[in-house]
Amino acid sequence: MEYLGYGAMALVAAAMGTLGGLGGAILLVPALVVTGMEPSAAAPLGLVTVAAASIAAGPHQLAERSVNHRLGVTAELVASTGAVVGAVLSGLVAEQLLTYVLAAVAAIAALAGGRRKGLRNPPDPASSPADVGERVGTLAGAYPLGDGVVPYRADRLGLGLSLMGVAGVIAGTAGVSGGFIKTAAASEIMRVPTRVAAATTTFTVGITSSAALVVFALQGRIDAPPAAVVVVGSLVGGLVGARLQSALAPSIVRRILSVLLVAVAVILVVRT
Amino acid sequence: MTAPPPGAVSTIRGRWQRPALTWTTRVVLVVAAASIVIPDPLRTGLAIAVVAAVVAVPLLRVAWLVFRWHQEHDRRFVAIGATLLTVIAVGGLLSALGVGR
Repeated sequence: MEYLGYGAMALVAAAMGTLGGLGGAILLVPALVVTGMEPSAAAPLGLVTVAAASIAAGPHQLAERSVNHRLGVTAELVASTGAVVGAVLSGLVAEQLLTYVLAAVAAIAALAGGRRKGLRNPPDPASSPADVGERVGTLAGAYPLGDGVVPYRADRLGLGLSLMGVAGVIAGTAGVSGGFIKTAAASEIMRVPTRVAAATTTFTVGITSSAALVVFALQGRIDAPPAAVVVVGSLVGGLVGARLQSALAPSIVRRILSVLLVAVAVILVVRT
Repeated sequence: MTAPPPGAVSTIRGRWQRPALTWTTRVVLVVAAASIVIPDPLRTGLAIAVVAAVVAVPLLRVAWLVFRWHQEHDRRFVAIGATLLTVIAVGGLLSALGVGR
């Protein structure tokens, strides 16, 4: 029962992480460190939160068909390659420099999302509910918004996927899922609707976290009893976050995402 | 299964993934909650099972998608998904060998 506080923190981090497509580790790990936990012990718990929230959010996001699995797996291939490279090179990168780069990226993404007005991807009157879903062989799709259907296509793949690779390197070196970069890259660079970007990132950060947790497990760095408590909070938080994501208007989700990104940037600088 | 043309709406609608993830969430939640109140040594065993499930499910989801894309004859994304699983396996292997520690 001594770990119940971790469960409560995981619930909040998972709910906010799922709502904004951030993953949640970036919020939970600093909170655990503030309570006195060693960063090396907090990092696996942060990744457990992300993976559990991704599982819990899955059914709801699949039901509303807001996840683009093809985009997610493509982005994740680049990110996971970056994560492996980052893990191998982790001893060679100055952590302070990396942290400041992360904070700058988060702040720029917050600014880009916060400045944008109106709906970039409006419902298309020519589209019907039969058009909802991914497109075979492409990184395009359509998702339901209110009574309409919003078609979209991932643009500027080179720059967008490069940033996914950067997110992967960060995941490999810093022990967070990099979701705050992935959602911003998909939404602001690749011009995917914010809700689709956040839902797709929630799916992909689950994969990133699983891959990293395999490494942590092989290194004997996962303490199972507190991790199980974190799983309870994260599953509930993931369910709450996914429902909030579909209940709120895209513009509100975008503003919340901007506020969370500013918070992430501040947390990163303060941690350093 | 007939191959849909490129650009057609995918037939993947989460018919299997949704119930699988819903039941996984419920079972893992119950087992994880039980591990909080049950004393050792059963507690640690349940907690390890919970963590193993949380780690395995996202990777199994990718494997399932690769299978479904194969059914849709979407070779490009079958290759991307299979390469992703290979990269993750290589990462685990490098870690097991102690590279980067």
